[in-house]
Amino acid sequence: MKCKLCRRDAEQPSSLCTYHNQARDSLNEGYRAWNGAYGGLAWDEYLERIKRNPETGQWVKEVAELMGNNGHD
Amino acid sequence: MHGVSFVDLKAYQIIKPASVRRNSRLFNREREPRDIQGSEDWVLVIDSSKKAGHTLVVCEKPDAAKRIAEALAQEAIQVVSVEGVTAFRFKNGTESFVVCAAQGHIYAISDTIQERSVYPVFDIEWFPNHLVEKDAEYARRRIESIRRLSEGAQKFVNACDYDIEGETIGYNVLRYACAGQQNSALRAKFSTLTKDELVRSFREAKVAANGNLAIAGRTRHAVDFAWGVNLSRALSQALMNTRGRYRTISMGRVQGPTLSYVVDRDVEIGTFVPRPYWAVKGTFDHAGVRVEANYSKDILWNKSEADAVRTECDNRDGVVSRASVETSTDPPPPPFNVGDLQKEAYRVFRFSPSRTLQIAERLYLGALISYPRTGSQKLPPSIGYRKILNGIAKISQYSGDVGELLAGDLTPREGTQADSAHPAIYPTGESPRRQLQSWEAQLLELIIRRFLSVFGKPVLMERANLTISVGDHDFVSIGRRTLKEGWMKYYGKYVKPEDSRLPPLKEGDELKMIAIDYAERLQRHLPRYNQSTLLEKMEREKLGTKATRAEIITTLINRGYLVGESLEATDLGFTVIETMKKHSPSVISTKLTRDTEERLEAIEMGKEDVTRLNRETLEVLSESLMAMKANEVSIGINLDQSVLATLSTQNTLGPCPVCEAGKLIMIRSRTTHKRFVGCTNYRNGCRASAPLPQRGVIKTTSAPCRYCAWPIIYVRTGRMPWRLCVNVSCPGKAGRRNEVQTVQKRR
Repeated sequence: MKCKLCRRDAEQPSSLCTYHNQARDSLNEGYRAWNGAYGGLAWDEYLERIKRNPETGQWVKEVAELMGNNGHD
Repeated sequence: MHGVSFVDLKAYQIIKPASVRRNSRLFNREREPRDIQGSEDWVLVIDSSKKAGHTLVVCEKPDAAKRIAEALAQEAIQVVSVEGVTAFRFKNGTESFVVCAAQGHIYAISDTIQERSVYPVFDIEWFPNHLVEKDAEYARRRIESIRRLSEGAQKFVNACDYDIEGETIGYNVLRYACAGQQNSALRAKFSTLTKDELVRSFREAKVAANGNLAIAGRTRHAVDFAWGVNLSRALSQALMNTRGRYRTISMGRVQGPTLSYVVDRDVEIGTFVPRPYWAVKGTFDHAGVRVEANYSKDILWNKSEADAVRTECDNRDGVVSRASVETSTDPPPPPFNVGDLQKEAYRVFRFSPSRTLQIAERLYLGALISYPRTGSQKLPPSIGYRKILNGIAKISQYSGDVGELLAGDLTPREGTQADSAHPAIYPTGESPRRQLQSWEAQLLELIIRRFLSVFGKPVLMERANLTISVGDHDFVSIGRRTLKEGWMKYYGKYVKPEDSRLPPLKEGDELKMIAIDYAERLQRHLPRYNQSTLLEKMEREKLGTKATRAEIITTLINRGYLVGESLEATDLGFTVIETMKKHSPSVISTKLTRDTEERLEAIEMGKEDVTRLNRETLEVLSESLMAMKANEVSIGINLDQSVLATLSTQNTLGPCPVCEAGKLIMIRSRTTHKRFVGCTNYRNGCRASAPLPQRGVIKTTSAPCRYCAWPIIYVRTGRMPWRLCVNVSCPGKAGRRNEVQTVQKRR
């Protein structure tokens, strides 16, 4: 099975490839840091900010877009 | 033709069909250089020297041969041409000399089959280069010329560059073109092509005690060829056998780990999530003088923490709780070795490492600097500091600085790295015999300035620290200034003295708080590698040699694995590394490469067995190749997708400014075979198009033209690329167009 976001093979049982999986882990971990830093931050707001930021990795942005459409994975 | 020790390892041969062997290009054609007795070229008459027994001097490059002849000749030099190749004949005392040159490697290592569809290949031999490479007719002429000049020679001198590559070149020429003189030839060792040093080196030339350096060089070529040819063929054939598309997908022992560094960094960047942080800054006033200070904790990870600091400090005055001034010294930088020169030239001029090496080679051949491929940071007194400085002093721009240095003690600052063959890079103090190109002059100035600065005194710096306390919170301000310029004076524009002073405050002084504020910031990802930092990483990891590192980076770019000033791996680069990680992880591991490097160094010192290294290389390689062959289909499919994606990126010039929906791409016409620019939205009616230069390599840029927003490209036909807006009607070209029209009208 192919990754939902690129042409690489998905890592079973996930539907994402190794890089997008790694990006998803970073995104989830990042949320904990952002939430703590602002003393509470909505998930959607976090995703929006992450997507807008030029320092955010491309794979993270793609996962954020996917999660924004599908809800928190 | 000339077997190396891999030949006795035929047992490892897995695939070598008899049909391929019979049909191979090499087996069907003559493997010895053609007989040129009937050549119409001017034939060197060496009968007289035959009787006297001339000395044949073998150099690595034609420019070096000329320099050597000029240095040794005591009477007029006779320039002779054999096979269209120039050689120099002259007398020194009663001895007749003929100086000839190779042109870099004129023998190359290759497999005996030379069919790109066949792998693995372990029958590896040395061949004259023209039997291996397409456009290497020069090698045939060089070899034949040297062979004829060697006839009747009584003595041979190897005067190739004294390093592993030079030793390999000299060994091969003496062994194959001069009928086995590699062990009896004298070795002239020099680090500059100046007359004094060349004369000294020939006076002191001796038969080498052992050929370990050449053996190590030849082994390195053999091992690298075995890795490179087999892995590259395995990858290329996977693509060919699966999709019927041929493209050279190269991979090698040093290429692999180097590319993987960039891929790993790209993965870190691609999966990076920046964390927010806060930096608090206070602005104070003391008797009308403004002082800015940062909160003692550089980074606050919580907004609430930053808010608390601001609230607690707002509208409260501060007091200087600590004021200190320290002085420190900064010693001169060490003299350049090749890596340091490449990094500094990149920092200062943005020259790529391979370009710097190329320019440095030219300066060396012009006797303007010492041998550049050195790892040394040492300048022994034997190079003659005073004489070099006196030479440099003749150039007006340096005369003042040199005068000061000559008046003092001449002890250079040296680094820790040493190289048994050559000292650090230094200017010879000789004047150029020709007008230097601007980039040559730039690099020479940098080398001269660095040489001068190593004799300078340490820089004296002052560092002032100020701690301002506001309640329980501390703010810190740091000022730096240069008290004595020392060596910086001699390094000129390449270094800037620091000057950020603090007002003279003492402990207990009170300051009025003007403002306290914080900035919300986000972490930045690690920087991408550029050619300089990647070279530095290779050096640190001991990958490749000082002579080959820059070339490896250039190869990775030329293969389409890396793009951009800040190096980024392409789809193809990623897929190649992913394939290697899956099927042949050892190839991209730093460990294997470093281990091989250490063993090659041991061979140089006569402490390692060549056959053992070869055998073990083939064992690891065989396993990798079998794994790749077993997974050929999946490798081929992945590579195919990446090749297409990479080609598509390489051919895309930018968004179409006409329809604003499509992209402008490079297309090659099926009828005329000419390349041009067209829009991907052609089918929907966009007729944006433009001609392209038909010669040269075109590189895309991400920058649109500031006049018309059409894409800008770089075209490289010669040494320097030129920048071009692809739009023929670009308003930015109006002036140039008018000029052309005026000239045409005049005609």
